[in-house]
Amino acid sequence: MLTMNNLVKHRGNQEILSGISFRARPGRVTGFLGPNGAGKSSTLRILLGLDRATSGSALINGKTFAELHNPLATVGAALDGFGAHRMRTGRAHLRWIARAAGLSNSRVEEVLKIVGLTNAADKRVGKYSLGMGRRLGMAAALLGDPKILILDEPVNGLDPEGIRWIRTFLRERAQSGNTVLLSSHLMGELAETVDDVVIIKHGTIVADGTLEEVIGNHSTLEKAFFALTSEHAGEVV
Amino acid sequence: MSVSSSRKIMQIFGAELDKLITLPLIWLTLMSTFILNLALAAAFTSAGLQGTAGTQSILNIGLASMGYLQAGFIILGILATCSEYTGGQIRTTLTTIPWRGLQLSTKHLALAMITIPVAFIIAASGVLYTFIMIRDTAVVIEIDTIITTLIGATGYLTLTTLLSAAIGALLRRTTPALVVLLGYYFIVSPLMRIFLPGINKYLNYFPDTAGNYMYMPRSPDDINVLTPMQGTGISMLWTLMFITVAIVFYCKRDA
Repeated sequence: MLTMNNLVKHRGNQEILSGISFRARPGRVTGFLGPNGAGKSSTLRILLGLDRATSGSALINGKTFAELHNPLATVGAALDGFGAHRMRTGRAHLRWIARAAGLSNSRVEEVLKIVGLTNAADKRVGKYSLGMGRRLGMAAALLGDPKILILDEPVNGLDPEGIRWIRTFLRERAQSGNTVLLSSHLMGELAETVDDVVIIKHGTIVADGTLEEVIGNHSTLEKAFFALTSEHAGEVV
Repeated sequence: MSVSSSRKIMQIFGAELDKLITLPLIWLTLMSTFILNLALAAAFTSAGLQGTAGTQSILNIGLASMGYLQAGFIILGILATCSEYTGGQIRTTLTTIPWRGLQLSTKHLALAMITIPVAFIIAASGVLYTFIMIRDTAVVIEIDTIITTLIGATGYLTLTTLLSAAIGALLRRTTPALVVLLGYYFIVSPLMRIFLPGINKYLNYFPDTAGNYMYMPRSPDDINVLTPMQGTGISMLWTLMFITVAIVFYCKRDA
């Protein structure tokens, strides 16, 4: 269970998160939606202990990220970018992560196979395409076989086959009782993958509920999203 | 400390060592430093053979390149910490090892583990080259003195590397860190010694000058000298101070 409790974040004089509260539950895929600059990445970064909240808390099974005994086996995270040094090979990148978590090199080979990067594992990360970089990020997230996945724009840069793979993969993870929280700006993809939806706008949650509840009277998630995030949108759904 | 904690520390140490070893830039820097040092040692030895080799010791000539050699170790230290901020690797590091103080301390430890043997080999290679080339003409020095001096040089280069890594962790970007450190070691500090002779006594307590006393043979007429132990102590204090400041900032600020 992921719990955001009244998160506030100030950067300089600007308030970029204004009391964010929502939950991502086990057995469900939660989509975190919002326009660029709405505060999605900032929320995920606080949840992962990368940034510090001005006030409020972001908890993983009741603990902050730094309090987790074995973070890699609890949470798999893939944020924007490759998350790897451009001059290191994909395999070397995964091996140092595995070593830090006490995992074997054979687990590295397993995740390389899962994400389809085995043949490119000895290439330097700087030579990877955007899609390959996303797959490397996914491989790192899956190394510890965690019960919780936190993914920022996971389908960004993937080809149609990759998008279908990730959609199926995330659904299977959730069906086996895992928690999946993902942010995306691709409404069509999200509507086919998520169970719950949280929409953020200007650092405030404007919708939080099941996919059906958030869509409400609108015909699609995309229409609901634009209705909720346009400048004259109303209150929380 | 529990068995579990010590195992975790060893895992993190192994991961930090892996990161350094698998980064081609680290090897490139070390190989370049080794080759350049040998080239400089050859140049200084050649100058010694043509001039006043008879009055100079093998150590003086063999370690004459130390001033330039330290640039390679400054770059090594900066690369070790600033490479975290390339390609967003810092996010992977902190989601794998969220205990920031422990992670940065372990990184410095892994860096020291690599630097100590390499610094010894590079410093010794210069002295060995000089020994081979001018053993018949130079002043003979006891092996104990050579070893003690090489240990001092290794210590100085290691502390310089760790201090550079701490500055790199504070500044987070390679170019500003290079400008600050190379600018201080190669421009500001030498110029201060020339243009501000009145403060030379105090410059002895700066990390570069104090560190020099860890390996430099002392001149009997110099009244502002430190002993090798004093030089080591002052250099260690500077290095520990910068590492501590770097850790405090690393723990406090957003990644």
